[in-house]
Amino acid sequence: MGKRTVFYQKHLELGAKIVEFGGWDMPVQYTSIIAEHKSVRNSAGLFDVSHMGQVFVSGENSLDFLQKIVPQDISKLAVNKAVYCQLPDVNGGLIDDLIIYRLEDNDYLIIVNASNIQKDYSWFLVNKADFKVTIENKSDEYSMLALQGPDACKILEKAGLNTDEQPEFFNIVMKQIKHIPLFVSRTGYTGEDGFEFIVKNEYAMDLWNILFEAGGEYHLKPIGLGARDSLRLEAALMLYGNDLNEKTTPVEAGLKWSVSVNKAEDYNGKNIITEQIKNGCPKKLIGFIMTERAIPRHEYAIYYNNEPAGVVTSGGYSPTLDKNIGMGYVDTKYNISLDSEIQIMVRNKLYKAKVVKRPFVHKNYKNSNQT
Amino acid sequence: MIVPEGILCSKSHEYLLEKENGSYNVGLTDYAVEQLGDIVFIELPEAGSHFTKGEVFATVESVKAASEIYMPVTGRIIEVNEKLVESPEILNDSPYADGWLVKIEADDAQADSGDLLEYNDYKEEIE
Repeated sequence: MGKRTVFYQKHLELGAKIVEFGGWDMPVQYTSIIAEHKSVRNSAGLFDVSHMGQVFVSGENSLDFLQKIVPQDISKLAVNKAVYCQLPDVNGGLIDDLIIYRLEDNDYLIIVNASNIQKDYSWFLVNKADFKVTIENKSDEYSMLALQGPDACKILEKAGLNTDEQPEFFNIVMKQIKHIPLFVSRTGYTGEDGFEFIVKNEYAMDLWNILFEAGGEYHLKPIGLGARDSLRLEAALMLYGNDLNEKTTPVEAGLKWSVSVNKAEDYNGKNIITEQIKNGCPKKLIGFIMTERAIPRHEYAIYYNNEPAGVVTSGGYSPTLDKNIGMGYVDTKYNISLDSEIQIMVRNKLYKAKVVKRPFVHKNYKNSNQT
Repeated sequence: MIVPEGILCSKSHEYLLEKENGSYNVGLTDYAVEQLGDIVFIELPEAGSHFTKGEVFATVESVKAASEIYMPVTGRIIEVNEKLVESPEILNDSPYADGWLVKIEADDAQADSGDLLEYNDYKEEIE
């Protein structure tokens, strides 16, 4: 039996199918993955993402500490802003990917992946060294809900937070909804507009109820991890453990856009990351659409001109496109680029696919400077 | 869900339904289909091919995963349900009536079906 979130009983009541994910018993679907996926694209859905971890960083050296552990320039992060980051080891390989929020001058919140909470926290302590900083893993105290979809904004307004009180894209605010104090962040993992709520466990169920009451007229649906995965794949968002791991650098993963190339401070893995930005790297991430009938899946082989050239890291059926899509790494020596024809080995047969731009589905972010 | 009378089920969730003179429909039980969730891809064998009991003869993929489907008895494929290739969701909607996978001519159904269960026993087994 895995760990359970505050909402576990609620998931059962709603008829969810439960699976183990990152050490947690989580709902994979309530009705149908495809129906849930479409709800989020067309109206709105609510996800229990309480398995994710919350680590708070405070103290006078908070900034220096964060500058050491991520390739992003955190000095540019204003209060109430968020930034997508990676957590490289000294060789540039990724321990995790995360979102860092600046709450106050010296107070930051880091959201980490469920399966990496302990690993990240230990890594933070290793890197704490002489920095005057307090690092607190409060993952067990907080629950997290994600409200995603084109109607998310209206539902939140109905729940008590007017549009002018709602944070802009990649911003976070501390608010109160009815009696519930919470962080509201305009982030998500679906490619849609939406919010993530970080709330103390004791208020979490009340927040769930308030959101569903407000979401009734917008047909708000609970969404499981199955649709969470297909939504993020269409948006070509990375899944740690599939698309990212300790043998992958941010440059190889196509995350160069997110690395602060002019950052003066030294950080873990900087030598390798800057060297790869300058001179290229041995493998790179591609996105592809199947042109023959087959579904690409994690760990299937990618071929180019009938030669093994790489491996699929995420793949599946795209409900929005009604096509089979995937991402994976290929050896850069093959010069595989946009529109290249590649092949995927599925049950000992090769099926054709075409390299395409990521994301697969246009993102519908609001107030967006970031794609 | 109307479960046809007389079906025999394997513990790997295939069913065998006798049609006429030694021909059978082979498909997936409602329980299997429910567990798989939205089915988005089905790969079927060629008509005319011959499979031994326990051999993989088809693949059914849901959004989450690919599952191999095993022959419940030895026999020759006499017809495949081509409609499923274009519309795999038929299998979700109607695993018995419209969503059969293949029709087979069994070599010796009697001898091969000893370990297959009647539907009620199968239900008991999986619960």
